Amino acid sequence: MNAIETKALNIGYRGPKGDHTVLSGVDLSIADGEFLTILGPSGCGKSTLLRVVADLLEPLAGDISVLGEDPSVIRSRRQVGFVFQESTLLPWRTVEANIELPVQVGRGRTGVRDSDRKRVKDLLEMLGIAGLEKRYPKQLSGGQRQRVAIARALFSEPRILLMDEPFGALDEITRDRLNEELLEVWRRTGTTILFVTHSIMEAVYLGQRVMVLGANPGRVMALRDLKGQKTPDNRCAREDPEIVNLMSELRKTLEQVS
Amino acid sequence: MNGLLRSVIAPVFGPLSIILAWQYLVPIAGIPPYILPTPTGIAGALANQWPLFADNVWTTVVEAIAGFLIGNLAAVLMAVVFVYSAPIRAAYFPVVLFFNTIPVLALAPIIILIFGLGLTPKIIVAAVICFFPTLVNMIRGLDSASSNERELLHILSATPWDNFWRLRLPRSLPMLFSSLRIATATAVIGAIVGEWIGSDKGLGALIIQATYNYQSDRLYGAIVLSSGLSIALFLIVVAVEKLVLRHE
Repeated sequence: MNAIETKALNIGYRGPKGDHTVLSGVDLSIADGEFLTILGPSGCGKSTLLRVVADLLEPLAGDISVLGEDPSVIRSRRQVGFVFQESTLLPWRTVEANIELPVQVGRGRTGVRDSDRKRVKDLLEMLGIAGLEKRYPKQLSGGQRQRVAIARALFSEPRILLMDEPFGALDEITRDRLNEELLEVWRRTGTTILFVTHSIMEAVYLGQRVMVLGANPGRVMALRDLKGQKTPDNRCAREDPEIVNLMSELRKTLEQVS
Repeated sequence: MNGLLRSVIAPVFGPLSIILAWQYLVPIAGIPPYILPTPTGIAGALANQWPLFADNVWTTVVEAIAGFLIGNLAAVLMAVVFVYSAPIRAAYFPVVLFFNTIPVLALAPIIILIFGLGLTPKIIVAAVICFFPTLVNMIRGLDSASSNERELLHILSATPWDNFWRLRLPRSLPMLFSSLRIATATAVIGAIVGEWIGSDKGLGALIIQATYNYQSDRLYGAIVLSSGLSIALFLIVVAVEKLVLRHE
């Protein structure tokens, strides 16, 4: 079964003076376990698409199924995790309490059990920030905060991870390191990832496929498969000529639509 | 050295210089003590007449603290109602706004007419005067969660209960505390104004009596104690805030 399937999907916002379409005619199938990056200029509906998958927004028209179900079903089963551009950690909660938020809210809340504590520890270890459990978000660097946000999104073992420019506000060195760690997380968990970015380099480095969106009106301009240029476990060298060519090809596509 | 100058010496020197000038220049200028007593005169009055002061301070302390608690609690509860019900907010916020425009000096006699001369009317005046700033701040605070934070709770299928206790309430606390700090001073003012209008007990009554009788040292003693009371309440609120908002 595909992780995500859309048919003639139109998305945007409903308003009192009629609907405002942001992105239209999206026909997409994303395989289970795939890493898809989404690239496009501002206002093309990249984030809006993630919001529809996460059941934060209803589509205006067309069909979408997530793991074969309506997005709301998948959301209520906690099978989707979301990482925002800003870490969106609750400042009054410690790192640990932020990551445990999923078991403290909702109808199925269980309260924090020993196994949850263990899981927090494992996640922090996997993301290279072990020992920060008792810190408050203010005491963390930008990169650490974003790692905690990823840990929180992974806490319920989601089948789908949605990431909305998660590393956009970080410096390049931290961003590269987090890209590497995210790929490792993806290899270990097998989660399907939809990753929105402004960076061509990031899109190519992370994605097995890159979807390029155009703005005004928002539409899918290209869907580029990179599996030929990468190893089976999605590795590539940033300076590989094939990768460099790909990046300039994507840059041209983007320049046409911006 | 420079740091010490700025952090310790200057803040001590400033007030001290004024107190010294007051102490020695006022008699030289020929201002009689019944117009403006010297600091040592005020301190002497406070020491000599302490039982009288203590008795009156206690009344004002009770009124101010009770008014502070009741006024702010009512404001917080009304803010919650307003935030959750747009129609109630639309219907009654203008009414609250209207009441807020009535000067407290005009409102106090009415409250005393209704509730008589005991502690109750003073507590109510103190509560009323604290109420509005906290209401406005609390409404803003409860609405201050970012859209990402609300989306985060939606993705986690949070209940309305979760939304309130896990997001909106904690989000509102910094703004609540900033209005509570201000309310410490206004609660004391409210209690004293209430005492002015109709009371024979409390710092407000003491101020009125001392003024009529030209007992300036007693008047200034009462002023010192009322600002001391405000400062003490302020420090308590700051301490509680530090405890509650330790993550800041």
